[in-house]
Amino acid sequence: MITYIIQRLFIFFPMLLVISFLVYLGLELAPGDAVSHMISPELASTITAEQLNAMREAYGLNQSFLKRYWLWLISMIQGDMGYSMAGGVAISEIMAKTIPATLELSIVALIFSTIIGCSLGVISALKRGSGTDNSLTVAGMAGVSIPEFFFGLVAILLFAIELRWLPVGGRLLPHYETVWDRIPNIVLPSMVLALMMTAGAMRYARSSMLDVLAREFITTARSKGMPEWRINILHGFRVALTPVVVLIGFRLPLLIGGSTIIEQVYQWPGIGSMFIRSVRASDYPLVMTISLMYVFVVLTASLIIDVLTALIDPRVRLGKE
Amino acid sequence: MAKSSLDKKFDKIREREESKSFSTKKRSRIVSKFVNNRLAVFGLIIFSIILLATIFAPLLSPYDPMRVDLRSMRQSPSLDHWFGTDNTGRDVFTRVLFGGRVSIFIGLGSAILSALVGIAIGCYAGYKGGWIDLIALRVSEIFMSFPQIILVLLLVSITGQSLFNLMAIFILTGWGGMYRLARARMLSLREEEYVQALRSFGLSTFTICYKHMLPNALSPIMVNITLSTAMFILTEAGLSFLGLGVPLNIPTWGNILNVAQDILVLQNYWWMWGPVGIVISVFVLCVNFIGDGLRDSTDPSQQG
Repeated sequence: MITYIIQRLFIFFPMLLVISFLVYLGLELAPGDAVSHMISPELASTITAEQLNAMREAYGLNQSFLKRYWLWLISMIQGDMGYSMAGGVAISEIMAKTIPATLELSIVALIFSTIIGCSLGVISALKRGSGTDNSLTVAGMAGVSIPEFFFGLVAILLFAIELRWLPVGGRLLPHYETVWDRIPNIVLPSMVLALMMTAGAMRYARSSMLDVLAREFITTARSKGMPEWRINILHGFRVALTPVVVLIGFRLPLLIGGSTIIEQVYQWPGIGSMFIRSVRASDYPLVMTISLMYVFVVLTASLIIDVLTALIDPRVRLGKE
Repeated sequence: MAKSSLDKKFDKIREREESKSFSTKKRSRIVSKFVNNRLAVFGLIIFSIILLATIFAPLLSPYDPMRVDLRSMRQSPSLDHWFGTDNTGRDVFTRVLFGGRVSIFIGLGSAILSALVGIAIGCYAGYKGGWIDLIALRVSEIFMSFPQIILVLLLVSITGQSLFNLMAIFILTGWGGMYRLARARMLSLREEEYVQALRSFGLSTFTICYKHMLPNALSPIMVNITLSTAMFILTEAGLSFLGLGVPLNIPTWGNILNVAQDILVLQNYWWMWGPVGIVISVFVLCVNFIGDGLRDSTDPSQQG
């Protein structure tokens, strides 16, 4: 087992290194360097070449590409993420502010989508082939077909503008004191996000439940004369939903990427809307750090999944890929 | 002497065999299964209607999608302007038709091209194995280490915005999935007897993997192309909505929706963003229906 984990780590770190190099290289090739973005258009006509050069010197941009990458890598490992070009705020500070907001949104959405998705999936499996099952399947497909931001906009129009039940967007307002004040703000974005993800959870739950219902212990339970509802609850749900919940739990990193556009629609101050803002402003240090953070999260999650699957199923670690 | 009933039966079978009614059976089974799937047929019909409407857009609408007409700004839907007009007096219905051209082209084009790239690499690497396979696998893993939307945004920030760049980015982010699919099929087909027979005949690797093995891997690939078309159309819409996709001067479904970022438009002028949002949703839903129907009719193990 330990050799397997070490093997995986031998893939994990080089992968991270290669990706960080590629991202650094990509942004290096992008038009304009840091200095050209710092100068406002009004100043651009008056600034001289020497002044530009002096600025480049001051920021260390005249050094060779590899040297700069090396320096950046070292400081990154030491925990210094550098500074955003817009306003010169420390990137670590931005991350510390935005990541909790995204996690809050994602976890709430994940919990709701799991509960709704699993229950609908189980219902649809129990009534397999019926009208309910078919319409749930179609509804699930509609869920993955409607653009999330369009759904979000309709929800804003309906619940925030017309009915005025909920705020249009944002997360914290100055006069908020307790956790309860914040709940209205999270309802719309998390619900929209959750409904978008329900389809996937429903599909998993349905096929897993169908799988379990065909097993022999269900037949045994039935032959003992156990009432149908007891069979479903005691034997069906428990066995069918455990793998589903585990699987969905691991989709959290994907979800963190998936919330990007919804965060923007609802002005949710999370890492996703920060990423979009940095892409728009060509704030390269921030773009790079945030995308590498995403990569880190995805790779870590897949490492954990791999190790857990290997723990459960010895064939994985003994066999080839 | 009268023929026995058994003879008659045999004659009938021979007759049917000779008229070749058996030979097309496999294809017709797939078609009939697809036709029996009501959702898939419904999807195909609506898909075709929308596709044809965008192709023949100039015949269906007397307006120019780009022409600004400040005298008829922000008009609500009427007989002259079915979906009303936008902030600069352009006819929204016309823009939805012309926008559909670009959006569908991006979605379908990226899906097909990324499939071609993925299949070309996946077939060869999957069949040959060795270092080519290892490199391709690692490269595809690099692309898969990003959440999809993040990778697309990152590449947009590197390359800048244009129609061509966007398609290139979609292909770059989309080939990995197709590569893995083709590779997995190849790995399982590689040990089949007919492949070993071909190899013993001394056929070249290219002939074996592209001409003889690829057709047997085609049906999951077709399904995947449909589903990734849907995904690319949604991604384009999302990016253009954010103002980071196709440049705003080209009408696409996402770019038309872009105005809805303004809360005043959202609140007061529903026709500028509502109908186009519905058109996107319906179109993508139809593509998904078609994909699902294809999967059911070509792959019996996926049913249920």
